Amino acid sequence: MDEQTAVAEPFDVAVEQDPAEDLVEADDLIEEVSIDGMCGVY
Amino acid sequence: MPTASVFDLDRAWDLHPQVSVRPEPFGALLYHFGTRRLSFLKDRGLLSVVQALATAPTARAACRAVGVGEDDMLRYTRALAVLARSHMLTERHPDP
Repeated sequence: MDEQTAVAEPFDVAVEQDPAEDLVEADDLIEEVSIDGMCGVY
Repeated sequence: MPTASVFDLDRAWDLHPQVSVRPEPFGALLYHFGTRRLSFLKDRGLLSVVQALATAPTARAACRAVGVGEDDMLRYTRALAVLARSHMLTERHPDP
C-alpha cells in the first residue's frame, strides 16, 4: 500500500460516518472521534 | 472538559509524527495512525496554530504568530490541550 492510499482511506471513511456515534471529546473548536467502532466499513 | 492548565503554552509543541493533516473548508481533519483517532478542527484559526507549532519556540508564540488575541487564548489553549491529551501533539524538546 502506498502512503497516499493509507492517508486517504481513513479520512474518506470518517467523512461518511456520523462523528457523533463515536464521539470522544468535543468543544467549540474541536471534536475527537475514535474509528475503532467503524471496523465494518472497511 | 479540559482545562488550560494541563497544556503548557510556554513549551514547544509539534504534531506527532504519526499524525496527518487534511485541511477542510470547516477547518481540518487530523488522523493519528497509531491511536486511530480523528480530530475535527472546527476553525481555520486552530489549523493555523497547529501548523505554526513546528516553527514557533512555544505554543503561545504560535498562537500570537497567527493572530490569536488574548481574549481567545483560553479557548485555543483548551483545544490544544485536547490535542495533546490524545497524542495528536507532542512536546518538542531542544536538541542536546
